[in-house]
Amino acid sequence: MMQFTETLPAPPLHLSSKPCQNFSPMNPNQIHRTRPWPGFPAPNKALGTFGDANCMEQLLVRCANAIESNDATLSQQILWVLNNIAPSDGDSNQRLTCGFLRALIARAAKTGTCKMLTAALSNSNITIQTHKFSIIELASFVDLTPWHRFGFTAANAAILEAVEGYSTVHIIDLSLTHCMQIPTLIDAMAGKLEGPPVVKLTIAGATEDVPPMLDLSYEELGIKLVNFARSRNIILEFNVIPSSSSDGFSSLIEHLKLQNLVHRNETPEALVINCHMMLHYIPEETPTTTTTTPFSFEDATPRALFLKQIRSLNPTLVVLADEDADFTSNDLVCRLRSAFNYLWIPYDIVDTFLPKGSNQRQWYEADIGWKIENVIAHEGLHRVERLEPRARWVQRMRNTGFRGVAFGEDIVAEVKGMLDEHAAGWGLKKEEDDLVLTWKGHNVVFATAWVPT
Amino acid sequence: MVDCENSSAMAVSATSVEGTECSSAGNETVPHPEVQPMKKKRNLPGMPDPDAEVIALSPTTLLATNRFVCEICNKGFQRDQNLQLHRRGHNLPWKLKQRDGKEIRKRVYVCPEKTCIHHDPSRALGDLTGIKKHFSRKHGEKKWKCERCSKKYAVQSDWKAHMKTCGTKEYRCDCGTLFSRRDSFITHRAFCDALAQESARSQTQSLPISNSNHLQETEIVEAAVLPPSCSPPPPPLTPSTGVLSPVQSVHSSELPDKTMEMLEHRKAAAMEVDAAEDALPTAATTTASGGSTSSGNQNTTNSTGVFASIFASSSVLPSSQSSPASYSNLLCGVAGTDRNTTVEPMSLSLSSSLYHSTTAAPSLFPTTDQNLHQHHRQYVQTQQPALSATALLQKAAQMGATSSNTSFLHALGLAPTPPSSSTDRYQEASIDQWSNIQSKQEINDNPGLRLGVPSDYLLMGPPAPTTLDFLGLGMGGGSGGSSGGYSAFLSSIGGSGLNVSAAAGVPFRGVNSVQNEDWDNSDDKKPALL
Repeated sequence: MMQFTETLPAPPLHLSSKPCQNFSPMNPNQIHRTRPWPGFPAPNKALGTFGDANCMEQLLVRCANAIESNDATLSQQILWVLNNIAPSDGDSNQRLTCGFLRALIARAAKTGTCKMLTAALSNSNITIQTHKFSIIELASFVDLTPWHRFGFTAANAAILEAVEGYSTVHIIDLSLTHCMQIPTLIDAMAGKLEGPPVVKLTIAGATEDVPPMLDLSYEELGIKLVNFARSRNIILEFNVIPSSSSDGFSSLIEHLKLQNLVHRNETPEALVINCHMMLHYIPEETPTTTTTTPFSFEDATPRALFLKQIRSLNPTLVVLADEDADFTSNDLVCRLRSAFNYLWIPYDIVDTFLPKGSNQRQWYEADIGWKIENVIAHEGLHRVERLEPRARWVQRMRNTGFRGVAFGEDIVAEVKGMLDEHAAGWGLKKEEDDLVLTWKGHNVVFATAWVPT
Repeated sequence: MVDCENSSAMAVSATSVEGTECSSAGNETVPHPEVQPMKKKRNLPGMPDPDAEVIALSPTTLLATNRFVCEICNKGFQRDQNLQLHRRGHNLPWKLKQRDGKEIRKRVYVCPEKTCIHHDPSRALGDLTGIKKHFSRKHGEKKWKCERCSKKYAVQSDWKAHMKTCGTKEYRCDCGTLFSRRDSFITHRAFCDALAQESARSQTQSLPISNSNHLQETEIVEAAVLPPSCSPPPPPLTPSTGVLSPVQSVHSSELPDKTMEMLEHRKAAAMEVDAAEDALPTAATTTASGGSTSSGNQNTTNSTGVFASIFASSSVLPSSQSSPASYSNLLCGVAGTDRNTTVEPMSLSLSSSLYHSTTAAPSLFPTTDQNLHQHHRQYVQTQQPALSATALLQKAAQMGATSSNTSFLHALGLAPTPPSSSTDRYQEASIDQWSNIQSKQEINDNPGLRLGVPSDYLLMGPPAPTTLDFLGLGMGGGSGGSSGGYSAFLSSIGGSGLNVSAAAGVPFRGVNSVQNEDWDNSDDKKPALL
């Protein structure tokens, strides 16, 4: 049964020992040859034995290596196996794996592995169809888990403390969730601050679509927010500056600088820059793939530039909340491992609060799938999901001239109270000055607050 | 009953302990807890009197209720003493234990769970009810569930206490949606159309802008709960249903309030008129505001999940299958609903046609295929995850042809999917008007392949004498179809652009089709946006 034209030396069984090893293109002669797959046990055994996450990760890594080394045969073999052990409606690990499987297929179709397909596919997008949320759906979506609410709650509380005493508060909301944080902030301001403050809200009108996508224009969104603020007796000025994360929100920064010049002599206003899961879309190529060289923060990278710019605005407070993972590596396998060991969390969470087959679950998982595909299948400027871990952001902020502000006991209590409203499994921990949301003990999202030094 | 017990507390407790199966530890004297004084933590539960008698009861005993049953009326009692008192009512012989005068020794109870801190006699609990509740709470099954917030309790009295307070901290939007958390409510409220309508209404009535009580006002509720087609439209200031320029409104915060009010009112009026004039039950989305698309979802209430149902109240359509009797009912109903079984062909073809007419995405698909796929996915999507498997296999087969040209292709081309089911599915799909000759051909020609590839494009591997069963999974055998030359292969790739895209994104495509069910109304009403 097992017929092979040639027996090649088996590849190392445990690639994990060198997670970020770079694969040089293999001998082109090998491409069209089948070869034994050493990791594969006796074929008669049920496929169910592959069900655990470690095995799936191994398979995915192997597949990624095969694709990167242009080994079409091996990659399709693994894809085939993966497809059999990871149904899209299976348990959370299977669905996670399925997401990566799709992403790998997309990559294989794009890269040299299946060049034949490339031409045919270049016309048709195999991008994932994500849901466009209505505003009400999005509110509900954000409300389902503390994934976003954690950042909202921590940020709102920190903002509220920072702007006390100001009669005008200017909030720059760089948020992935389309102003979902703002109503609670307005509500809190209305309840706490003396006298009705004037709130200026400036948002970056995204020029490219990143899930969750909203089925509503920013102008219409603004009408709703202004209307709501009025009902809470707050005057809200709403501004949309179309700008893109790809150039570090340069048009927004320009606008703000200009405003700074014009309004310098007017009544002092608090300037708050709220960055909610948005900054990781600013491009950033890590200089090398080897993990041995320390990460360098070059001044010229778009991220460093952006932080410099907002530092120059001398903000009252900068809040930065983002997902605590590292998707920046240039090495596919590295990213795959990192993403696999982070993105299991949303799939696991989904199991706890959304029924199988519900629309919400499909929307939610499609958005994760989008993320996976972006991390795995795309390169260059198209690869926008470039999460950086908390420690690295902290380093960036410090390098730029910011000082961390610890979240006070009140804020911690508030966040804890919010978490108590959700399922068991969510946790909160403090790392240095920062708050970290955890799921079953694993870091999910961090929240940090900064003031200029 | 409880009063009865308490009236003779000492005697009763003695009796009840006797009635239980005391374990061997029953009469053991507690070792003196000398270590305790140094721990000054307040309220550390279970620091019994060192002289107390330690009782260890089995889990069954602790969880048992009403073990003393009256043989006449089968009524059960937790304690023999109570049964005896009850027997008196049947004129049966009864006997109450008398106190024997001796002072009864204090008893303490340990938890039977060995890993529990209260398993240690030094941390025993002081009363039987306490240990029972402790055991149920910490080590027992939580069978009492609050239907409202889904919290679960092991002890009925905890559940009862919760039920008294749950819902008191409840927030209700005028659209009818309930929230248990203030943050959730605030966020929803800000974006809900009910707020816009309300402020517009209050402005028509020349009311001053109220300061903070918008949130809980209820005057609008009645109107809001009615189906839009029933709500009396106020005299429209502008008959036009066109989209007002939102940009003006946005910057109007700097304008005099009057302008803002005017715009808001125009908008709201337009929305209401539009809704009222709308004869079609499936198209209730208002034109003026994109935010109102949520109401547009309602025509698929029977096939949607929590979102649609939760927000169903603002505009429950006459056609809607599930009238929101209660929040929890909705949730339950939704949880158990299989959307595939409830989607009616009618709505399918509607959404499909909309999809067809409004989709702007570039596609390789021939339109007929697109329609077919649309239906196909809608039928298949959740019930048949195997679709993706098949698609992937086919893809893999093509990839196999690219590289190795071996009969690996065979193995994959003959994917182990039952042809009959796919045929059924096509027949299902052909119920509606969109099936056409091409698709019928597919049904006839390729019952084994479900991806709607025209038969000419089918790629089967060249027949090979030996099956390379690289995985030893016995997929080989069977015959290849055509002698696929290179050109045939190329065309297969060209034609399979749709296959591959379907393969790579089947669930996601599936999501798309679901989306369309929900979007179609908004798409319908906002052609300008497309």
